[in-house]
Amino acid sequence: MSAGILVDALLTGAVAAATPLLVAGLGELAAERAGVLNIGIEGLMLAGCFAAFAVTAATGNPWLGLGAAVLAAMALGGVFAVVSLTCRADQIVAGMAVNLLAVGGTGAAWRILQDRGLTDLPAGSGFTRGWTGIPALGELPVVGPLLFDQYGMTAFALVLAGVLALVRRRTRLGLVLHGVGQDPHALAASGVRVLGVRWGAVLFAAACAGLAGAYLSTMRTHAFVPLMTGGTGFVVLALVMFGRWSVGGLVVGCLLFGLAESAQQGLQSLPGARVVPHQLFQALPYLVALIALALAGRSAPGPAALGRPWPER
Amino acid sequence: MNGPVPPPRIAVAGVSKSYAGIPALDGVDFQVPAGVVHGILGENGAGKSTLMKILYGLVRPESGYVRVDGVDLPGGSPAAAARAGIGMVHQHFALVDDLTVVDNCILGAGRGLGLVDRAAWAARIRQFAGRLQWTIDPQARIADLGVGQRQRVEIVKALLAGGGQTRVLILDEPTAVLTPQEVDELIPALEALAAGGTTVLFISHKLHEVERLCPTVTILRRGRVVYDGPRPERDAMTRLMVGEVPPVLGLHATASPGESRLEVRNLEGGGLHDLSFTVRAGEVVAVAGVDGNGQEPLIRAILRDARAVTTPGLAPEDRLGGIRRLGLIPDDRQHEALVLPLSLRDNLVLKEHRRFPFATSWGWLRLGRWRAHAVDLLTRYGVRGGGPDTPAQDLSGGNQQKVVIARELHRNPGLIIAVNPTRGLDLAASADVLRALAAARDAGAAVLLIHHDLEELLAVADRVLVLFGGRIREAPSRERSAIAGLMLGSPTP
Repeated sequence: MSAGILVDALLTGAVAAATPLLVAGLGELAAERAGVLNIGIEGLMLAGCFAAFAVTAATGNPWLGLGAAVLAAMALGGVFAVVSLTCRADQIVAGMAVNLLAVGGTGAAWRILQDRGLTDLPAGSGFTRGWTGIPALGELPVVGPLLFDQYGMTAFALVLAGVLALVRRRTRLGLVLHGVGQDPHALAASGVRVLGVRWGAVLFAAACAGLAGAYLSTMRTHAFVPLMTGGTGFVVLALVMFGRWSVGGLVVGCLLFGLAESAQQGLQSLPGARVVPHQLFQALPYLVALIALALAGRSAPGPAALGRPWPER
Repeated sequence: MNGPVPPPRIAVAGVSKSYAGIPALDGVDFQVPAGVVHGILGENGAGKSTLMKILYGLVRPESGYVRVDGVDLPGGSPAAAARAGIGMVHQHFALVDDLTVVDNCILGAGRGLGLVDRAAWAARIRQFAGRLQWTIDPQARIADLGVGQRQRVEIVKALLAGGGQTRVLILDEPTAVLTPQEVDELIPALEALAAGGTTVLFISHKLHEVERLCPTVTILRRGRVVYDGPRPERDAMTRLMVGEVPPVLGLHATASPGESRLEVRNLEGGGLHDLSFTVRAGEVVAVAGVDGNGQEPLIRAILRDARAVTTPGLAPEDRLGGIRRLGLIPDDRQHEALVLPLSLRDNLVLKEHRRFPFATSWGWLRLGRWRAHAVDLLTRYGVRGGGPDTPAQDLSGGNQQKVVIARELHRNPGLIIAVNPTRGLDLAASADVLRALAAARDAGAAVLLIHHDLEELLAVADRVLVLFGGRIREAPSRERSAIAGLMLGSPTP
């Protein structure tokens, strides 16, 4: 009997852990396809995470929090775009600066929240599981825990993945994105505004990262602590690479990582696990990610113009 | 019957454009009627590229206008130029390598960002290609296509962008990358297009192709139209393009060659089969051939000291880490010969910078000597556009090549290897390069010239070898058509 419950719990936890990775990953995938390596995604998630919490705490409305997360991340993403696209600064350095800016900015703003006593969400104001509002759906075998006993973000992530896959394969927008990341010269010669496309991709990625951050502070937990994202953004970067810049590969990668995350939480609660320091369990998913990356990364070329400024001189 | 005279298909009037105060085009006027192939000629820097960019809407002219069938072309928008019926085939193909033909056509010729119907596009690609007697596989990846096929894709893409209504097709240096056979196949297709009413603007500095294709020409020099009308004789065209330039033809040696300087005996491997030849002092041995027939492995074998290669008369100190130090003018001067961000002073001393007198024995670099050396070489080899402190990347291609030649030839090396030394250079710069090689030969050097341009190669070669499919054979005569045949693997010499 308990085996079934255990598996259910494992899978539910896996999907819940994979969701923010997938949302942020889809945005990053679009940006990298367009040739922009945005390692500031960690900072954008943190900004979204904080903005969602702060606005929800102040207004009691989580939807306003979600909107604030998107706007905050896009504003910070805009800073990254100005520096790295318009001013042609090195994308890695600019991304790192965004990360540091987000750490400092959210840390300082958290102090202000504390001073005003806004350290908790008003009761009942965070999002709850079971996004359909029909509890019976959550009772269904397999799909129940996987799809319906989750936050609405999970459904959104899957829809977004489907849309993005369609855009990639079936639309001219997908070809333009691909071309801008592969050979911006060719696209510019055909009259495509390379910088405009990259700006759009970066802002889209920022919005996605903001949503993923909001998931952490108003869905999965109803709390904020400084540095809450804890490196998730960097895992997203690795997963995009692991998935070889394809939507399907990214989905698989996110689920694998989510499974490892869910498994380590399960292992920690096993009787007798006390003798092992819990940090070792927490490191497990990252170890899995490293191994997977080493195995998968060998022959993955990626967009040819990834990380290069435009115009080149 | 006697209706009003139709306006010219394309009219350029008073077009001027300058960059940083330096005029690139200065009051350019010309007109071309419908349904002809018209040549636009000029040296590098004459303003051809700027003119093309204006016609295609990439650049807005400072004054003057372009009209297509009497209607003003709005500047500054390739999309508007495409709507006006102008198709453009760039010199550097605007194709994304890892996408298919059909996806590239959708990218280059499609509009909007919505769903794409690949089947319909593929059918149109086949239809447009069929009109030119071409077969194109719409599902092929660009990376898997040869240069000739890629160009066909570019032309079809340009025609698709006009939706079958292409009024003007611009081809920027279309034959620069093609083999003679591919050129032969391109020309009837362009004539067919013109017969169908499309005006073709053929931008080139290859006069023999212009002679085959263009009844009328416009010749640009330093941003001005110096001639516009029926195509003149070749000598007249050359003079109009470059002013007076001494001819490069007939640079062959008169003296008989001396001792052997490079011997290749039964070289095998890397796609080469039983290669043997000798280069002696005082001769230019030219290796003709279409790129990819073994040039790369041959050069590597010579430089890397393969056992089948001997260099009698080359001093032992002229070896460095298994690489022979000789006068080497590599194919890719921007990456293999020059360090682009470094100054000319530094580039000119490379290879000798650790030797006396440029460094002391304990490694102190004597930069004053470097500078004096650079000033001396820049004057002697007539490098223009920069001084000792100018980064190499700021020079034009022709002057960059002069820097390479100065460094490689000033020490009078016994053996010189030059690979496509005039690639990308205009007539005057090419002539300078060929003359420098001939002068080195006359001073007693052995020269191995591996070159893709048959005309230039014949101008300077004392003996001609042909490389095809990894095998080499000596051309029995200097006749162009016979050598071109060998280059394409014809069995009988």
